[in-house]
Amino acid sequence: MSDHANHDHDPETPEAHASRRAILQAAIGAGVGATLLSTLYIGAGLIPKKEVTPETEPLAKGDILVYGDGPKKGQPVNPANLGLGEQQTVAYPMNPKTRVVKDKEANNTVLLLKLDPASLDAETAKSAAEGVVAYSAVCKHLGCIVSNWDKAAQILVCPCHQGRYDPKQSAKVVGGPPPKPVPQLPIKIEGGQILAAAGFLAKPGKEV
Amino acid sequence: MYQWLDERFDISRLQRKFLRKAFPVHHSFFLGEIALFAFVVLVLTGIFLTFNYEPSTRVIRAPDGRDLQAAYLSILFIDSLPFGAVLRSMHHWSAHIMVAAAFLHLLRILLSGAYKKPRELNWLIGLGLLGLSIVTAFTGYALPYDNYAVTATRIGYGIAQSIPWIGSAVASIMFGGEFPGSDRVIPRLYSIHVLWLPLLLIATIGLHLLIMIKQKHTQPRYAEKVAPGKVMGVPAMPQQAVMMGVLFLVYLAITAFVAGAFLAHPIEAFGPLSVKTPDVKPDWYFLWIYGLLKIIPSSWQFEIFGGKFGPEFWGGVVVPGMLGVVAALLPFVDTRKNKLRYVELPSQHPLRTSITVGLLMFFIMATLAGYKGDPGLDWLTTPLLWTLILVVPTVTTAVSYVLMKSLYSERSEGESAAPSPGPGY
Repeated sequence: MSDHANHDHDPETPEAHASRRAILQAAIGAGVGATLLSTLYIGAGLIPKKEVTPETEPLAKGDILVYGDGPKKGQPVNPANLGLGEQQTVAYPMNPKTRVVKDKEANNTVLLLKLDPASLDAETAKSAAEGVVAYSAVCKHLGCIVSNWDKAAQILVCPCHQGRYDPKQSAKVVGGPPPKPVPQLPIKIEGGQILAAAGFLAKPGKEV
Repeated sequence: MYQWLDERFDISRLQRKFLRKAFPVHHSFFLGEIALFAFVVLVLTGIFLTFNYEPSTRVIRAPDGRDLQAAYLSILFIDSLPFGAVLRSMHHWSAHIMVAAAFLHLLRILLSGAYKKPRELNWLIGLGLLGLSIVTAFTGYALPYDNYAVTATRIGYGIAQSIPWIGSAVASIMFGGEFPGSDRVIPRLYSIHVLWLPLLLIATIGLHLLIMIKQKHTQPRYAEKVAPGKVMGVPAMPQQAVMMGVLFLVYLAITAFVAGAFLAHPIEAFGPLSVKTPDVKPDWYFLWIYGLLKIIPSSWQFEIFGGKFGPEFWGGVVVPGMLGVVAALLPFVDTRKNKLRYVELPSQHPLRTSITVGLLMFFIMATLAGYKGDPGLDWLTTPLLWTLILVVPTVTTAVSYVLMKSLYSERSEGESAAPSPGPGY
């Protein structure tokens, strides 16, 4: 019985051994490879897709700027309430039709300042209105909100790594690590409200 | 009872093999143990915290009428429980102590040459443990979701994003999308912080200790004189166990007092997430990286095939990564043929010791850069800080090398000539 079996296909001959091993190795390799590939496909699901909701839509022309925090949060900013040369006000755009505040998208955060119109350089003045200037509030360095104000020097300061921007010169970087100025937002003033006259002049948000 | 168990599990064999194992006693040998105690306390207080914490950023109405994120509100609830704030504070302080003790333990191993053959693998595992503890501490930082913690964590998110090519994917997977903003960020950090990293830590700590038991602890210097060639120490059971028990109780007493007297991370004072960025400082073990980020100019960047190599990448990934690689290679560079049984005296290895001291000065100077721009510290300018970071460590290394050479050279020849002549590292 065993004699008969061993005659033609002796499983223990070196050649049979080698080919059996090669087949097993190929099978294991294919199995591991397929498993890894399918794992990668599952792993891709860990990166969430960005969903655009009314609250995360990007800032658009005509949006009304509203207070981002404080007691008047959500109410339109009245330019008359901005103090000349005082600390910036953080604001979000509001869709004028639906009245939805687009505050779930960090890159929509805007900072507002009232400065002496004569002190602005020509480039900055073009996008300003009655001395009110608006910039993206998201620091170009690591994305913190630029919320500090060096009143003596009239310079915007990011609290995270002391990035400094000059609001009178298109937010030129005058100190610290930011690679670029925060983009300016052209504005107009209508009926005691501040409106976006266009989108940001450059892409807002940190450099990635 | 003992006999009943012994008949079934052969405890006597365990007793003979492991519990009578001799452990050497030296005050510098307790640092790793303290890190272990901190970990035990972190797990225990962490279990208490998970029972009451809600890993969600959904906004809900608080009893006082404020609309707050669920995570923030649940921490306020924990603080209102009997000893809740103290236990949370103890968790916070123990995280600091674990990182500090692990770092000092590493310094002890480094300065006494205990990383050498045959302990290379355990040195690597130890480095991994230090890295794991720091990452674990970082992932727990944002969980209270107060304004301070979120801002501090945002910097880490930026550093993760700065890795060329894969940064965005890495940051998205770890933080569940954009941070802050995504609703998935807290569930994801929570799972990483309370489940996966602790499991990994438990397994790695177990391996670290098993290898240490198998290879035997290095012997203190006095053992060489008292009983050359023999393993000295006290038995694990009961002497060593009693010492550990006492030290653990002392640890508990001190951390409980510190946690109660100095409540860590007062989230009510920091307030819930808002658009105003508070003036933040990261924890002390991140300050040196934070300092480097402040002084690396934005012009240090270039692109290769769409991958961006920017300042955050240099300061936040490359510099710490390089230090890690150098540390990992150390036992394979500093080799010798005979097994290391006794610890080496730092004074007899002036080069290694002086470079270590120089490295510590580098950490201190980079930490100082973390204070750049603070009120009253206007004199800390970028050029000054660069000079300090480059010059002070170099000078410190050179001076300590020359000092050690001249002070200890005669002694070192006399002593290390006996059983284990090592190269003059």
